[in-house]
Amino acid sequence: MYEVLLFDGGVYKINELYELIEDVGGFVIQKTQVQVQITVTLAIPEEERPVIEAKTVELGGKLVDVPLAGTEIAVVAPTLGRHHMPHPTCDIAEQLRRAGAITVVMGLARGKGRRTAQISADEMAVIEEYDAAIFVLGNFKDCILEHKVKLFEELEVPVVAVCGPEIESLPSCEGLVCGVGRKVERMRREEEIRKLEEVGARVEDVVRQKRQELDEDPLFVHPAEIKDRIAELEAVQESLRPAPIVLHLDGLRVKIPYEEWKDQIADVEVYGRRLGDIAEISNSRLGGSTLIRIKTRAEVESG
Amino acid sequence: MSEHDESFAYQNFDTILRQMMQELGVTRMVTDYRIKADPDAPYFLISLRLGRARSSVKVSDMAIVDPSPEGGKITITDENWAPALLTRLWQEYGRDAVEQLTRYELIVHGVPAEDLENMELDPGEELRSKVLDAVWRIFPEGFKVRHNLVDDKVMTILGTEHDLDEEWVRIAEELHEEMHHDREEGD
Repeated sequence: MYEVLLFDGGVYKINELYELIEDVGGFVIQKTQVQVQITVTLAIPEEERPVIEAKTVELGGKLVDVPLAGTEIAVVAPTLGRHHMPHPTCDIAEQLRRAGAITVVMGLARGKGRRTAQISADEMAVIEEYDAAIFVLGNFKDCILEHKVKLFEELEVPVVAVCGPEIESLPSCEGLVCGVGRKVERMRREEEIRKLEEVGARVEDVVRQKRQELDEDPLFVHPAEIKDRIAELEAVQESLRPAPIVLHLDGLRVKIPYEEWKDQIADVEVYGRRLGDIAEISNSRLGGSTLIRIKTRAEVESG
Repeated sequence: MSEHDESFAYQNFDTILRQMMQELGVTRMVTDYRIKADPDAPYFLISLRLGRARSSVKVSDMAIVDPSPEGGKITITDENWAPALLTRLWQEYGRDAVEQLTRYELIVHGVPAEDLENMELDPGEELRSKVLDAVWRIFPEGFKVRHNLVDDKVMTILGTEHDLDEEWVRIAEELHEEMHHDREEGD
């Protein structure tokens, strides 16, 4: 299984690191260079970590775990009203970003209340595009157990629910963190920071679980391997959006319009095959983006 | 009542109300408050006792009013009151009648100076709207159906999602009344 790490160091002899990563069968997900400093997000087979660690020491850099790198996660609040925003929703999103995830914060149109709380098919479809969803819920146990739970019961992506009261278990979600509740201030006290770390840890569990499931029926190629090839497309290079290509666990989101670019994307060559043959390319619910879901090895070979 | 233990919610609402009042600078304005909620019903009830009775300030306390051929002329001596005064004048006489000569001087066309001198401004109004703001900010968002009981000393707000039950209104009225009386026992 691949492990995602962040190298933080200088550019001196950095090519040796790139070569080593390639030699051990890993790949570079992202490089960010600021003058002579560079941070490299890399994915390597788990068992090769000691070799990379040794190289990092040799280059005078350090290796940081970024367990959520290569994932895109939605943090969902019942509404975007100040009752749920910005704290603690944004604090949780920030915590996940620190662990390497790309996050989006989303408010439902009608998620407030009890009997009136609902999620639309459109909203569900948007959430399904992400690798995992965090639902940030409120204070009343009764509300959460009887009503809010239906917001995510039909979602197929793994869900982590964050709520205030202590609840032993909640149906339809893969993870549960209690003791957060409503906040009107940033979560910066010691116990609150610990809570944020707990949320991070729970999301990591969920993501790890999903990675393991994917490993049982492995993808034809790792999304990062396609990333470089798609990055060569003119529209991607010209894109001014902060992260024009975002990795998912089982594919990528490319932030260029689907209708205009679907054919060029499908024609990208990956290990002698057309991308269109080894992946499903579809329009994203968020305007101006294209989703690529890579088929599994079995799917490609049987097709 | 709800079959679940909602102690976390009560504690949390208590904390966020305190923090919110602090943020809005009205902590001293509220001497006591109670929150009652039954998520099973569902209703949410909050009652606050306002610290000081509303006292009004006369225009002559913060400005000098002189008669002039065009109307009353006001020279503001305490600028802190300027926004409130201006708002009040606009409400009363319309924007066209109020002319701002300089930062401190105003002419209200066609209004005798005596009328202006006796006009009263209500400082409680602004503070009350701040307290209300704090309440709206913590009130559960989905509880749009509301019933308010407001007087000079106590403000009680009851909210629910669908129909208001008379029973809850009665509870609100009782609490509203109670808040008037147990001033000494406090908290």
